[in-house]
Amino acid sequence: MDSFLHLARPLGPVSVGTAPTTAPLNVVIQPQAIFSVLDHSLRRNADQERVIGTLLGTRSEDGSEVEVRSAFAVGHSEAEDQVEVDMEYHKQMLALHLKANPREVLVGWYATASELNTFSALIQNFYSGQGDGTWPHPAVHLTVSTQPGKDLETRAYISAPVGVTAERAADSAAFIPVPYELRYGEADKSGLESIANAKDAEERSATITSDIESLERAVEEVLSMIDRVSRYVESVIDEETPASTAMGQFLLNALALAPKVEPADIERDFNNHIQDVLVVSYLANTVRTQMELSTRLATAQLTLGGGEGAATGEKGNQRGKGNQNRRQDREEARA
Amino acid sequence: MAPFTQTDQVNRLNTTAHLLQLYTMAETPASLAAVQVEALVVMKIIKHCSQTFPTTATGALVGMDVDGTLEITNTFPFPVVEVPAESHFDNAAPNPAAAAPRAKANAAYSGEMIRMLREVNTDANNVGWYTSANMGNFVNMNVIENQFYYQSQLNERTVALVHDVSRSAQGSLSLRAFRLSSKFMAGFKENKFTSEDLQKSSMRHQDIFDELPVKIHNSHLITSFIHQLQCPTTSASTELPPSLAALESSPFNKTSALAPNLENMSLSIDPFLEKNCDLLLDSIETHNTEVNNYQYYQRVLGREQQKINNWKTKRAQENATRATLNQPLLPEDEWQRLFKLPAEPSRLESMLNTRQVDQYARQVDSFVSSSTGKMFAIKGNLLPNEVSK
Repeated sequence: MDSFLHLARPLGPVSVGTAPTTAPLNVVIQPQAIFSVLDHSLRRNADQERVIGTLLGTRSEDGSEVEVRSAFAVGHSEAEDQVEVDMEYHKQMLALHLKANPREVLVGWYATASELNTFSALIQNFYSGQGDGTWPHPAVHLTVSTQPGKDLETRAYISAPVGVTAERAADSAAFIPVPYELRYGEADKSGLESIANAKDAEERSATITSDIESLERAVEEVLSMIDRVSRYVESVIDEETPASTAMGQFLLNALALAPKVEPADIERDFNNHIQDVLVVSYLANTVRTQMELSTRLATAQLTLGGGEGAATGEKGNQRGKGNQNRRQDREEARA
Repeated sequence: MAPFTQTDQVNRLNTTAHLLQLYTMAETPASLAAVQVEALVVMKIIKHCSQTFPTTATGALVGMDVDGTLEITNTFPFPVVEVPAESHFDNAAPNPAAAAPRAKANAAYSGEMIRMLREVNTDANNVGWYTSANMGNFVNMNVIENQFYYQSQLNERTVALVHDVSRSAQGSLSLRAFRLSSKFMAGFKENKFTSEDLQKSSMRHQDIFDELPVKIHNSHLITSFIHQLQCPTTSASTELPPSLAALESSPFNKTSALAPNLENMSLSIDPFLEKNCDLLLDSIETHNTEVNNYQYYQRVLGREQQKINNWKTKRAQENATRATLNQPLLPEDEWQRLFKLPAEPSRLESMLNTRQVDQYARQVDSFVSSSTGKMFAIKGNLLPNEVSK
């Protein structure tokens, strides 16, 4: 991780009076925003070096933290001396997006190359400008390098205006790197884990695992971690690796977390626990069977016993029984 | 000569018929066999569903159909609009979001969105929709109607993805793909759900949905991104920490993106079982209502039939006396005008309910299998002597 030192610089002549703030800013990125950016990068036209798009998210009340939650692509074309961004598209897409996510706001834009050039400054000035931009908050510029064969490199910037004259300031900006953090919620964890399952596979795909399979994996993972730690401890005891008091303390703390309980208590708790689980499972399956039986009896062709009357009589009987059983089940479940 | 040409012609006709058959076979490709979901879609669905949890969230899926595998490459959420309940089932739309996929306003919205996505080279085919669920409670009229709308109005080859938020919170992602079976589609179209129809079509609750296997697919860039995320935990050697405080605040102690997910080692069972029991009780309640409805119908039907029979015997007697008196006979089929048999209630609701209970029971089973395993493991660890005995 890079270290950041934030220096407030004197603001340019243009924005005196209506000063946009350059106060320190924390950027939090959610994984789906990065995924969108990467997806867009894959879908760029063959002749395009980089693609850009709009970042959406939320801003904390004092404006010191920006959370990037999603992103959408915006078409643009760059030539030697000019850049065209499809602003109409951006506006329409933004409106569509806000319809479904009313809580999210425009926070900035992304590009899929690390390079910052005059065009970046131009686009940055548009996104941070008044009216359609993020003004008075700074616009976040996120660069994700997607060069083949190299690590993905993500950087976040905000900008300060520079330039002596108004014309000069319009197409220049001083990009100030800001720290960012990749954050994901509890809910994203399981998704990311499933996605990560595919990371070593040749065809880059994975099936969704069942409860028991993922439990197995988790157990294996824990076992390998314990192995690793005990290997380390052993090598310290054998004086092969240098000892570390901090590490020792940490491990001791972890071991102290193991509960001290009486065997009888364990026995009792265990039995209660497992009985609860099994009873619910049993009841659920009984209910399922009863219901299936009742539906089947109601719709199946009953030819037993001959006459129509006998058949319906039987049907009624069975259903009566089913009801009774079910009622019992329910009482048990409530108890 | 004549018979010769005739057979010749017949032969030719046969071959054309054969060719036609081949042609039509080539025209209608094999039905969908699997669903492949991009990582981006998984993350977007999770985000949307968990944001709105516990209310239902719905959205559209776009992608492409490649040789029987439906590749879902992007998605966008539906805006929540208040829609009047236009469903022909009374209690179908208590929640506007659940009905969103088939709302008119959203058809326009998704059309617009897809047009926009096409401009930036996204696969611009509507291939289905997704919904969130809470403990597998997704088998209801809304899902059926949405999917029916998709399969009948838009495109036959569409799927419904169901993301179960509460089950995913337990550790393993729950994302399933469903389609309505062709049998059910045919039945639903004509609303054929009386016992007689069901007997004829022998449709059962297992036949409502076809479940398709779901695969998650990553692009190269995402694969590389994920490898990068994981680097810190697998790096070989690091500096030893100078102090305990340093260790506790170091990045290794933080839950980085792909640190082992130990959610599913958790031993708490109560919330899960409680919720499941609640849902099961609800289903039993529904079932009882349905059964009562049906019994009421049978009683009314019986009474009406009794009346008709009485009327018929009376008329027969009257006719017999008239015959002896040489008077003209009265018509015997007038009862059809005089009496009206009650309409049989649709069995669809109870069928769905059975399917739902089936779903719950399976869910409990799967939960029980992993939690008993965990519990025996704990017991074995805490009481090593007990087990070895």
